[in-house]
Amino acid sequence: MMANLLEHMGMEKDRVQFSWISSAEATKFATVAREVAQSVEALGPNTKFVKGSD
Amino acid sequence: MSETKQTKVVSFLCNWCSYGAADLAGVSRMQYPENIRVIRIPCTGRMSPKFVLSAFREGADGVWVSG
Amino acid sequence: MESYIEQIRTLAVDLLKSGKVDVVIGYRRGSVPMATVPFMARTPEQAKQLTWDSHCTLNLANYLTNRQEKIGIIAKGCDSRNIVNHIVENKINRDQLHIIGVPCKGMVNPKELQTLLDDEIISCAETGSTLTIASSQAEIKIEREDHLRNNCSLCTHRNPVIYDDLVGEAVEEPVLDDPFKDVNAIEAMDADEKWNYFDDLLDGCIRCYACRNACPLCYCPTCFVDESDPQWVGKGQNDTDIKTFHFLRAFHCAGRCTDCGACEAACPMDIHVRAFTRKLIKDSKELFGWEAGMDISKRPPLDTFAPDDPNDFIK
Repeated sequence: MMANLLEHMGMEKDRVQFSWISSAEATKFATVAREVAQSVEALGPNTKFVKGSD
Repeated sequence: MSETKQTKVVSFLCNWCSYGAADLAGVSRMQYPENIRVIRIPCTGRMSPKFVLSAFREGADGVWVSG
Repeated sequence: MESYIEQIRTLAVDLLKSGKVDVVIGYRRGSVPMATVPFMARTPEQAKQLTWDSHCTLNLANYLTNRQEKIGIIAKGCDSRNIVNHIVENKINRDQLHIIGVPCKGMVNPKELQTLLDDEIISCAETGSTLTIASSQAEIKIEREDHLRNNCSLCTHRNPVIYDDLVGEAVEEPVLDDPFKDVNAIEAMDADEKWNYFDDLLDGCIRCYACRNACPLCYCPTCFVDESDPQWVGKGQNDTDIKTFHFLRAFHCAGRCTDCGACEAACPMDIHVRAFTRKLIKDSKELFGWEAGMDISKRPPLDTFAPDDPNDFIK
């Protein structure tokens, strides 16, 4: 719900992500980490909610 | 600091789940992107919306919460 | 309306005389037209000052937090839902309360009425569903139904959900075709448009925290904006800080907000602060089938876990 409100306020959806990884799932961790990093990279640097940006 | 700004993803990882997974990934020499910056939290229940906003305030480009 | 006032006063006087309650929380006429102020009547004489009209915009549940004495309280639909919230969140005991429920037909928006006349409104009288407003130059009659506050025109719970005495007859609950039209309109924008929309919206915010103080849900001993160690949000007029404040204030009301409109009524800068909470109300309803403050025996959705909670946002 928090992510929904952030999106509602104009934050891009992929900037906040959630996942659920067990401590045994190192492979999943690496995969998801790569996904998250890529999707954020695709969005480029963030300008919203940054202190001192305005 | 490099010339081009690298995107930073602040990752809040639960001590018992994803932090363990990250540890295991490290021990197993798996590669994951260097723009993931890890913050260990005692439990995902410790997570608060304040953390997300202060991460962005301080210049994070993305936030990843993992339990 | 007049019969409501009579009944409220009679009930309040009886309650105070019999010693059933120590105080009756209600409304008293304000010092300017089109305003009421919250009023705590402690003696039967004081109870005669209680009133009821189309300007009872504040939410009286705000005055219940952590009180020890026995309280009689006047509650319209939204107030009663906030009282349920308070009981569920252990801020007050049900046994302490004697709730005088008042079926509500919506409160009018004084700022809108002011736009109807060129100069300042100096009096406002009410007979049945007609309001007579007058400035020093002119006098006009209007139907109160046409000038309801936005949240009142979207209200579907006009009757109190919990009460010990009901004043008058229950009123018909409206059925709305498209209750979340405003939220949908924002959702249809793209990210930058949304961002700019909220930028414009909060342009006038002076960080007076009236919205927080008027809200019955905001009862934390120390609000996150007042915390200095760690300081989550700056205290100045920085745009990011203003947005952070409004975001977190709204989010703290997730699954609890009853859309009573007290925040907007309190805002001195006329900011549509409900733009944030409306989205949360819509999401609560769509994701959890939840409307705040309807049932004293149910915990709010963000407070409990259920196996069928939506979790498709988790990878």
